[in-house]
Amino acid sequence: MAERRYRLAVDIGGTFVDAIAYDEQSGETTVRKSPTTPAAPADGVITATRAVGAPLDEASVYTHGTTLGLNAILERKGSVTGIITNAGFRDIFEIARGDLPRGSMYDFQYQRPPLLVRRRHTVGVPGRIDHRGEVVEELDRDAVIEAGRRLSERGVESAAVCFLHSYANSEHEETAKRILTEAFPNLSVSASVDLVREYHEYERTSTAVADAYIRPILGRYLIDLEDRLRSRGFDGSFLIMRSAGGAMTSEIARMSPLLTVFSGPAGGIAGTIDLGNATGRSSLISFDVGGTSLDSCVIVDGAPTEVYEAEIESLPIRIPVFDIRTIGAGGGSIAWIDKGLLRVGPRSAGAVPGPICYGRGNTEPTVTDASLCLGYLAADEFLGGEMSLDEEAAVQGVAEKLARPLGMSTERAAASVFDVLLARTVGAIREITVERGLDPREFSLVAFGGAGPMLAPLLAREMELPEVVVPPAPAVFSAWGMLMSDLEYDLGQTVLTMLDDAALARMESVFAHLETEADKVLAAQSVPPENRVLLRRLDLRYNGQEHTLSIDLEAADEHSAAAKFHQKHQERYGHSLKEEVQILTVRIRAIGRLDKPSGRLDGRLAVEADGAASRVGERHAFDFAARERRLFPIYRRRLLQPEVEIEGPAIIREPTAVTVIHGDQRAVPDHMGNLWVR
Amino acid sequence: MTALPALDGATVEVIRHYLNSTAEQMRRTLVRTAFNPVIYEVLDFGISMYDRNRRLISESSGVLSFLGANDYAIHKGVEKVGIENLHPGDVIMINYPYWSGAHVSDAMLFSPVFCEGSDLPDAYLAVRAHWMDLGAKDPGYVLDSTSMHQEGLIMPGIKLIRRGEPDPQIMALLRYNSRMPDTIIGDFNAQVSAIRVGERRLHQIWEKFGPATVEAAIDRIIEHGAQTAVEAVRAMPDGQWSAYDWLDDDGISYDLIKMAVTVTIEGEKFTVDYGDSDDAVPGPVNMPFGKTISLAKTVFKSLTTPNTPANHGHYQPLTVACPPGNLFHAVYPAATFTLWTGMAAFELIHKALAQGMDQIAASSGSDEPGFMAVGTHPDTGEMYAVSNNEGIGWGATPDHDGATALQHLSTTAVRNSSIEVLEHKSPIFHERLELRQDSGGAGRWRGGLGIRREVKFLAAGEMLSMKKKTKTNPWALRGGHEPKTNAMIVWPDTERAHRSRMERFSMLPGDRFRNLSAGGGGWGNPLDRSIELVREDVLDGYISAEQAEEVYGVRVEADGTAVPVGPRSDRPPPSNPPGR
Repeated sequence: MAERRYRLAVDIGGTFVDAIAYDEQSGETTVRKSPTTPAAPADGVITATRAVGAPLDEASVYTHGTTLGLNAILERKGSVTGIITNAGFRDIFEIARGDLPRGSMYDFQYQRPPLLVRRRHTVGVPGRIDHRGEVVEELDRDAVIEAGRRLSERGVESAAVCFLHSYANSEHEETAKRILTEAFPNLSVSASVDLVREYHEYERTSTAVADAYIRPILGRYLIDLEDRLRSRGFDGSFLIMRSAGGAMTSEIARMSPLLTVFSGPAGGIAGTIDLGNATGRSSLISFDVGGTSLDSCVIVDGAPTEVYEAEIESLPIRIPVFDIRTIGAGGGSIAWIDKGLLRVGPRSAGAVPGPICYGRGNTEPTVTDASLCLGYLAADEFLGGEMSLDEEAAVQGVAEKLARPLGMSTERAAASVFDVLLARTVGAIREITVERGLDPREFSLVAFGGAGPMLAPLLAREMELPEVVVPPAPAVFSAWGMLMSDLEYDLGQTVLTMLDDAALARMESVFAHLETEADKVLAAQSVPPENRVLLRRLDLRYNGQEHTLSIDLEAADEHSAAAKFHQKHQERYGHSLKEEVQILTVRIRAIGRLDKPSGRLDGRLAVEADGAASRVGERHAFDFAARERRLFPIYRRRLLQPEVEIEGPAIIREPTAVTVIHGDQRAVPDHMGNLWVR
Repeated sequence: MTALPALDGATVEVIRHYLNSTAEQMRRTLVRTAFNPVIYEVLDFGISMYDRNRRLISESSGVLSFLGANDYAIHKGVEKVGIENLHPGDVIMINYPYWSGAHVSDAMLFSPVFCEGSDLPDAYLAVRAHWMDLGAKDPGYVLDSTSMHQEGLIMPGIKLIRRGEPDPQIMALLRYNSRMPDTIIGDFNAQVSAIRVGERRLHQIWEKFGPATVEAAIDRIIEHGAQTAVEAVRAMPDGQWSAYDWLDDDGISYDLIKMAVTVTIEGEKFTVDYGDSDDAVPGPVNMPFGKTISLAKTVFKSLTTPNTPANHGHYQPLTVACPPGNLFHAVYPAATFTLWTGMAAFELIHKALAQGMDQIAASSGSDEPGFMAVGTHPDTGEMYAVSNNEGIGWGATPDHDGATALQHLSTTAVRNSSIEVLEHKSPIFHERLELRQDSGGAGRWRGGLGIRREVKFLAAGEMLSMKKKTKTNPWALRGGHEPKTNAMIVWPDTERAHRSRMERFSMLPGDRFRNLSAGGGGWGNPLDRSIELVREDVLDGYISAEQAEEVYGVRVEADGTAVPVGPRSDRPPPSNPPGR
């Protein structure tokens, strides 16, 4: 058997597939990008896997982040899906909650996006459980069979089963699922309680529907991809990234396909937390800027906020996800003139046609075109020289479409595009910190994604943030984060009782039950007992409130649990109340510790070079500190020496990203290969 | 600090983002620190920022009905206090309905903000929020007051904070006049926190760009808003159109109340006159004039500049008129507590404009038909109060079917209540929650469907039917059919079945009610609807086979095939499929 010296992570994004290979013996990492292949996603994954060069039979772990499920929902390319629910309630899914997305508040001719389930594919069956979990009416088993038959006859491939109050008593859902699975082996069945054990019937139904909608295709995709990897000699663990960080085996992913849908940005957050641990920072703001959007997440005490209220196009999905805020602004955002005012976004040129400089037919200037005008990007070094940019067209586009109508020079127009983008970004970051009562000036900004390192030092100047850290290979930082992930699994049960010692004593059996289940899940993923960690959590709230806060339960006594809740409430909402505290949900987070890469990303990149050797050229570019064009030395990041300070202005290049520091800033590489801008 | 070069279209945009974000940060601070769920969940609040001339710079609100509500009150507030009496750090409260433009429970607090060295305010910040109790005649909602003096404690522009120091006497007055003193003081503190965040940001913006640059940028922002709005009004046809509709009653008598509007578009002027409406009535459905203006502004903005945060310029073309003493211009001491008139009248401008403009949708259910249940929970012995805002069908448009089961146009950020939550909090048990077949008005484009909800009380309690438009139908357009209207049937399918208006009922264990919400109006002749769409609607059960045959002239057979019966235009299916 070949020696397993490599760990691989491959992350599919909207534009590129990022692949990263870490060699445990040498500590070296290799990164590659290949184009995304939407028609056959596995092809792009295999291409990127090949490109990164690590022999698959020498890989111990292959971690994969996929947005296939998300895209299937967004593009309505999932399975024909039906709903089986209580008689008299078949429209819970279509009625939904009645509210409009915030951006559409004024749209009095609003049209809802096409439903994932047509009304003709919804069936009610007799049987009712009340809020205490007591059976008011027995489930009509014949009606369940009849419902399955009707749906199958109408071409339904996948069914969501959701009954009222099933979180309190799952018996009817479990029975219905068993009956359907036995009688209709070709029908995929998703029961809501397998996904969410919390109240709110619409949100539970929509979660089950989303699961049912993507389950068949995600299952087929994962099996196909795994087969292709195995046929190329891969014999290690095939892991899939989860939306709330952590990974799971592909078997679990096929059972719980929904847990993959927000995994895209999760790798970056996992990497950010890891970076914070390695560098002794616990207050971080992640700043991930790609082609079309900017994702940001606030990390306090080394932990990101998790929420259980994710949405896809206003379809609620009750699975744990990181509280990541997205602003529709990235390298591809289009700058345009609206009655004399310069706007940036929300429209984006995307990957196709992309910015003007891609030369694929777009004539509207984007942020990337402006950065060419400002001298930050080198036309022949984009993506490590794999793609060349048409600088002349970009400059001409900014000149004609922006500079002329604004009555200013091309350079000033390009700088203004950055000013406007920054103003939007400053606002957005202030908003996500102020709503939690935090001061952004106490945070380190972690910059990654293709355009993050170019913009972050500017943002730090504007917001008076103390420091920016740019990890090595920032464009594939998400994939690096995936390498650093443990196996994780969440279980929850709604209980709804006042928090007191008697209740906590009763919760012991609920915890025990969930722990047994969680332990089974870890065992099924081949986690040895000594590497299993089970964390107890409670979702608490003030009696009468709707919002809950999750606390880790260390000592199971009322006083400490309540005190922790009051304190967290104070931090989060600015006040605590004298009201009684209620337990809404009992949760177990199961963690299967995996061996981590022993070194750091690019830890060996600091080769023995003197400062002069790392300086590879110079060019004129726009310095925001002086607000004029100045001569910027250009450094090759790979050749930088640890702890040797670089004075701004300067451009620091690496194959897939560029860090720009301005005249009043300086950058220092550390021994782990991170670049600190202050 | 960066010194940006002289004012240009980019600098203006940068400053605009900073100002808009300031309003947004005030909003998030309020939501974070508020004590009562009406603020942090129902989003019953409005935040606005004004320049020294009290022109709106930016705003951030929860529900639409709070938009523009502060604009009237800030003028009245400054006028009553006297601009020379305003000092840095002051916080003033105004809730006298005829000045504040809302009912007594909506407390508007505002603060003057001064640049360094200014004698007079350079900006104002206003935060309005719904307070749970200010000592009105009944706890919760008031349905039958006949005078302002039954509706709570009045603050006609009173300083709660003077130069940064809260006035303990006034705070005691508030506290001792409320049934829920801790909650309202908590909300007061949340509003002040939001104002203080706004002040800090404004000072930062002045420092960063210089007050003169900021002032010039605000001029450009408002000018830009005006240009956009003027362009939109110019694109509308000139003309004058009137429309009227009916409110069920005032809660005292049973008489229908006429709500009327005349809209005049002349070049770049858009005038809305409510003067042909009935005079003010004894019950609490009268509208303070500020509220009427706010209503007109919201509808106007949706028609002209829906996608940008509002500023003063966006309303430049709009004039709102109504003589004092009218239903839409309540004067002291007319009762104004029940705000349902604002909802039932929301679509009047649309109804008028539809006579002269093509791009108007038919009526979207006309009202927000909710219910409340209150009583003592048998399991806990404690008081419960739950409510639900029922979705309605939205009106069909010239291009597509109306959406199904959405909230009222004026409360599009609010959600309906979960059955499972309702059943946990109160002893009620749901027997049915379905779309109401055939409730959408028929038409070439069909109105959205309303909802049928059937609920049983498991223990004695009270049910409040919350709706003010049950006696008359929502309207349709261009040969479309009227939809089914809102209805609350108490004790349905029994001898004492009762179709109720907005009122309160005692329910015994086993008593039921059936809440039926309206559909949206239809657009165009149903005989022009494509056979394929009619067939699809029957297969999905949105319409019955009977309606398909009788109204649409299409027979859908048991095997799913569809054939025309009688003459119909038999248009091909549209390329743009309808939203559901």
